[in-house]
Parts: sequence; structure tokens; C-alpha cells
Amino acid sequence: MTTFERLSKILVKNYKIDPERITLDGPLEELGIDSLGMAELLFFIEDEFKVHLPFDPVALPTLGDAVSYIDGLLTAQHATRTQISADVTAPAPPHRPA
Amino acid sequence: MRRVAVTGIGVISPLGSSTVELFANATAGHSAVRRIDETWCKRLVSPLAACVHFSGEEHFAAPKLRMLDRVSQFAIVAARQAIGDARLDIPNADRQRVGIFLGTGMGGSQTTDDAYQTLYAKQSNRIKPFTVLMGMANAPAAWIGIEYGVTGPNLTYSTACSSSAVSIGEAWMRIRAGDLDVAIAGGAEAPLSFGGLKAWEVLHTLATEDPSDASTSCKPFSKNRSGMVLGEGAAIVVLEDWERAIQRGAIIHGELIGYGIVTDASHITRPTVAGQAAAMRAALQVAACAPASIDYINAHGTGTQANDSVETAAIKQVFGEDAFRIPISATKAIHGHLLGASGALEFVLSLLAMQHDVLLPTMHLDIAAADCDLDYVPNCARHNVNINTVMSNSFAFGGTNAVLVARSAAQRTGTA
Repeated sequence: MTTFERLSKILVKNYKIDPERITLDGPLEELGIDSLGMAELLFFIEDEFKVHLPFDPVALPTLGDAVSYIDGLLTAQHATRTQISADVTAPAPPHRPA
Repeated sequence: MRRVAVTGIGVISPLGSSTVELFANATAGHSAVRRIDETWCKRLVSPLAACVHFSGEEHFAAPKLRMLDRVSQFAIVAARQAIGDARLDIPNADRQRVGIFLGTGMGGSQTTDDAYQTLYAKQSNRIKPFTVLMGMANAPAAWIGIEYGVTGPNLTYSTACSSSAVSIGEAWMRIRAGDLDVAIAGGAEAPLSFGGLKAWEVLHTLATEDPSDASTSCKPFSKNRSGMVLGEGAAIVVLEDWERAIQRGAIIHGELIGYGIVTDASHITRPTVAGQAAAMRAALQVAACAPASIDYINAHGTGTQANDSVETAAIKQVFGEDAFRIPISATKAIHGHLLGASGALEFVLSLLAMQHDVLLPTMHLDIAAADCDLDYVPNCARHNVNINTVMSNSFAFGGTNAVLVARSAAQRTGTA
């Protein structure tokens, strides 16, 4: 499945958006997802694509912008992970007292 | 001072989500109180509530719904009903002369409860990005203002169980003084999360379940009353300058003529006869009504030991011998205690009772307590009773006592 298809699936499932309205160049705001809504959409993106998003907000006016952004993150973070696993053992998670 | 008409009513309540359904169930004494069935109910002593049959998906597009706590959903839909009922044309009105006045005790408490679940129970940092916006107490009022482009005051009152009597009263004062022409006023509450129910339970204010029939567990003024049952919903009215309403040919449901607000300032939960009586007197005074001219009282009547005895004593203090003659209803027995929405819902029921000449029953009242010796209209409605003036009482933890007095529109205008 392409990044666009996976994103479309999120929009249909969580925002009940008609698949026919979902296009690469259509503004997300027209689908009811404004800059505030984007904050929540980014959570779904993190879960779906297993990427870690920076804490600072990011402006993604169209689905095409979101696709490029995710693809960029996937490439960068995949490369970093490969590098880490090749060089060192990943650090243990911090100890949490019971 | 200007006169103030009630020209629109909207309700989302456990007894129904239209005034017709609400009034029919209230008259018939059908209780909406039920044993609720959630996985966490086994951790409650008496898992009782009066729930609203409501699906947000029927009223809101999914992206917007994700930003609305249940309390805001109730408020917006009730406001739409009220504005529709009033046939109010807000876009073409002077929108700065319109205000929103809403009451809520607990605001978006379900959102807060959900966030705590995520943060503390699941040990995850993934709380909804809208948690602040959904949880804040003024969200319901803000959303109504945004939907209708209302640019006058947008105010939220939080005085626990009297919140929406206060919001209606404060709105009335603005219109009466000429500061506003129209107000959308009322209250909303959605407290039925596990955290909400447990918090009320540990205060020992909630009713124990009646083993013979859970729906009869709330028994105001009864000898065997054991407490209140929480409910949810919203009730909103459109208040309007009387002359404006007449000029545009609006249907007038009643005239709000008095509002009394007096604070106990003595104990955070324990009510006082003096405070409740003073609020009733204040409302009568501003309405220029003699106590004997009140035809009907919708009591605060929670079904708790403390309230019902104190309220009875306060009514006797204000009305003297007339107290034994004036019929009193405690409708919380069947719609539950909607906390910040209760005052508005009971004000609406008072108006509907007056319009239909029906005294609503106080259900589940077989044997009244010794110190509750007034006419509570036990168990059966009374029809064809001429009602011209009604009083609706709302008292609260924190001690803010608010009383509304309304008069029949027919009486003053001379029309049917």
C-alpha cells in the first residue's frame, strides 16, 4: 500500500470522510481537518507509519504535503535506525519503579 | 425595566429530546433512572443513572465530533432546538445584542476522565491534543456562539447544581436592563463517567438501589429516601425582549419575571433554611409577587436527606400557611439530577406545566418523611389546574441558591 492509500484509510476510518473526496492536492481543511485537527491526525500518522514526529507543529495544508512529509521521515528515520543497529546496541528503556 | 419573554425551548434529556416527549414522560411519571451496565460498574455500590439516548454522529460531522465532549454535543443540539423553536434569525439580528449564558457544574469531565485513563492507568503520554479544548467549562457556550456568530457576551456560570438557574437569571437581568435583546441561556452536563460517578458516590449523596425496581431509587421527600441519582443532558431557552418578541410575532412560552440569588456562606455542602428562604423571597420581591400568588413550585427536591427537609422548612418559612396549599413537584425522581443542567431543565418543565395546566407528579413517594408535610403531588399528575405563576428552585453545593419565577404569557397578554 502506498503512503497515500494508508493516509486515506485513516481519514475514512477516523474522520468518516467519503473516499471520493480524498485527493492529493485537496486542502485538508476542506475535509474538516484544520491546524488543530492536524495535531490529532499526526498521532494517527505516528501509529500507522511507526515514525516519531518532532514535537514542534508542522504545517501540512494538503494530503500531498502530508505524503511527502511522511515519506521524508520514513527515509530519514529508517536510515538512522539501520545506522544505530549496525553501530551500537540500542539503549535499554529507563527503569520504572513498580 | 423591560419585560422578558421565553420564545424558544430546547432539551436533550433523559426523559426525551423534544419538549413533547419530555412533557409526556414527566406527566406520566415514567422514570429514566436505570441500572447502568459498563465494565466499571462492579466498582460502584449502586450503578444507577438517568442517561440520554443520544448519538453525536447524527448531529455532527466526524472531524468536528472529535473535538466535542459529550457536554458540548448536548448543549449545541439543545441550542439548535431552542433557536429553531423561537424562529430566531440571528444572522440578520444585531449579533452583539445577543448573548450566550450557559451553566455547567463539571464541564467536559469525561474528556478529563479519559485523559487520566491514558496518562495514569495506561502510562501513555498520548492524550488527545484537544483535551484542554474539550474539557474547559466554557466550551459548550463557545461552540454555540461560533455556530451562530453571536458576538455579544459569551458567559459560563459554574455554581454546581444551581449553575443553569443562575445562567438564565443573569441573562434575564441583561435583557431586563436593556443591555441585550436576546439571550440563549441554559445549562448542560455530562457527568456519567466512572470518575464522575465514583466521586459523587464517595460523598454519600447517591441513592441506594431500590431492590424491587431500580427505576424508583430516587424518592424525593419520602421517608425512605436515600439520595439522588445522577443524570445528563442539556436544557436551553431563548430569552427575548418582550416588545421585540411581540413585534416579530413570536410564540411566547412564558414571561420570566423574577430571579433571586442568595448564598448560604456557611458550609460547602450543608444547605440552610435561611439561605434557601432568602433566595425565594428575593425572587418574589423582584417579581413583585405576593407569596400567595405562586400557583406551583418545582422544588430542588434532590432526594437527599439534607435537601428535602431543609427545602420544606424554607418553603414554609416563606409561604406560611399558603405552603400547605401550593403544589410542589420534585421531578428529579424521574429525570435524575443533571447538576449544572438541572435548573434549566426544571425551569422548562415549570413552563410546560404552566402552558398545559398540569401539575407534574413527584414519583416514588409512598410515605412522606415526618418533616416533609406539604403537597408534593405524589405519584400522579393533576390535570386542568389553572397555573399562572410558577417558581423553580435550584440550590447547590457551595451554597449558591437561585430561584426563578415565571408567569403565563396568556395571563398578561390576554390571548390564549
